[in-house]
Amino acid sequence: MVSDEDLVGKFPGQSLDRDNAAHFRGRLERRLLINRCEACGLWRHPPKPVCPRCWSSSVRPTEVAGTGTIHLLIFLHQGPPAEGVDYSKPYPVATVELDEQPGLRFTGAVMGAPNDAIAIGERVRLDWIERAGAPLPIFRLAEEGRR
Amino acid sequence: MSSSRNPLKDKVAIAGAATTGFTPHNTERSHASLAAEACIKVIRECGLTAADIDGICGSNPSAPMVQSMLGIPEVTWFANLPIPFVNQVATASAAVAAGLAEVVLAYHTPYRLPWNTANSLKDPFRRGGMGMGPGPGPDTVAGAVGYTAWASRYMYEYGAKKEHFGYVALNGRANAARNPAAAMREPLTMDDYLSARMIRWPLCLLDMDVPVDGADAFIITTAERARDLKLPPALVHAAVLGMIDHNEEEQTPALRDHGQRVVVETLKAKSDIGLDGVDVYFPYDGFSFITLSWLEMVGYCGPGEAGAFLEANRDPATGRVLINGRVPMNPHGGALSEGGTQGSGHIREAVHQLQGLAGERQTPDARTALVTAGGFFFNAQGLVLRKG
Ligand SMILES: [Zn+2]
Repeated sequence: MVSDEDLVGKFPGQSLDRDNAAHFRGRLERRLLINRCEACGLWRHPPKPVCPRCWSSSVRPTEVAGTGTIHLLIFLHQGPPAEGVDYSKPYPVATVELDEQPGLRFTGAVMGAPNDAIAIGERVRLDWIERAGAPLPIFRLAEEGRR
Repeated sequence: MSSSRNPLKDKVAIAGAATTGFTPHNTERSHASLAAEACIKVIRECGLTAADIDGICGSNPSAPMVQSMLGIPEVTWFANLPIPFVNQVATASAAVAAGLAEVVLAYHTPYRLPWNTANSLKDPFRRGGMGMGPGPGPDTVAGAVGYTAWASRYMYEYGAKKEHFGYVALNGRANAARNPAAAMREPLTMDDYLSARMIRWPLCLLDMDVPVDGADAFIITTAERARDLKLPPALVHAAVLGMIDHNEEEQTPALRDHGQRVVVETLKAKSDIGLDGVDVYFPYDGFSFITLSWLEMVGYCGPGEAGAFLEANRDPATGRVLINGRVPMNPHGGALSEGGTQGSGHIREAVHQLQGLAGERQTPDARTALVTAGGFFFNAQGLVLRKG
């Protein structure tokens, strides 16, 4: 397992702590891990040390399928510097409602589709790219189109 | 649950409010010098001296720094709190009501820094280590970006048009023309708005508040003490800071389920005054979209109807909104045109309207002001002020 020091070094600019370290370790293996309560089954993101519904501290980072529906969507015409992003084409960032639980959402860029095909309500699936030496979760439009 | 308990009601007053005015570029002044100017001005306008102040409550600079800078001999309570500025007013009022202090100096100093404008980096004294290392990158809706994300959801759910957001910007600019303290006073047309530079679709430059240098300062004291001072008091009638458990931008449940809902429910429970009794309204406009949401949440119109409501309640010739032909909206120009004051400008203008000190912006016989500050996630706030 990668050391805590090396893990933090892999994600400069992100705020890593003991509650989200497992999530970022999952990213290194290209697995999207979301906390799920072992006592009551509730999914919750971003990572917290207890379940907000039953207060159990048995919250286990659990892999999700990565399929879902675009709930929020923006196109950045400018933004912070990032490897491979120049904003000459507005950069689409979507908050995706994951299929595991209503209201459970994860945010990432949408890649591999023309901007005018990307819209709230579209089905997407998780994929991964490499950015600045670490895997980055992104979404692609699902082949099957609308749900 | 929203409690109707409100022992604070009308017991505490804002006795005075003063501003330096705001400029949309880097001044040659420090944070502290702007704070000092506004604080000295409000203390003098109230007919007080440094020795009368026994509480300090602000944002930046720190309360100890302000005390030392102004030579305030002794204080018995002080705090530095996160903005928006209803937080400072509510907490200082509670401190006065509880007897922790009797006369509180409250202040906020909007300042152009790397978090709100990259141009601040041209001034070496504003860099302060910020804007250096790598940020979290663009793949997020956390922070201010969250309002853009929910604005897109609003357009998707209700078919709102860009012009609807523009009505908010045009109202602010038309009102700022009558406010000498405002940063942006040049006329603005809908064509100007629609052709403004897109920053994060669907929001453009003119949907986002203007980073400014300046300061606002207030004196908060008991209603009795305020009546003995030089200016008419504005009574603190009800205040709330509302928040729900899903307060992360991406996890917020829905367009009508966030901190604003708690604020509105709580004001209804705590206040004796309904929306019909409001004479001047201050919806936050750090992003134009926030104003559309507030109009719907407080009940001026139904879900998704804010655009049509503004269209029906604005003068197309001037762009100025007068709700039901009577109630001005952000008569000082709001965050979009007076300047990004994180709510202090809205509250200062509310006080001046109730004091009859708003100059050519004065609303005739303004007796009640409603301020709904902040956004959705962790900063939705409400404040009802009454003429004393
Ligand atoms: Zn649980």
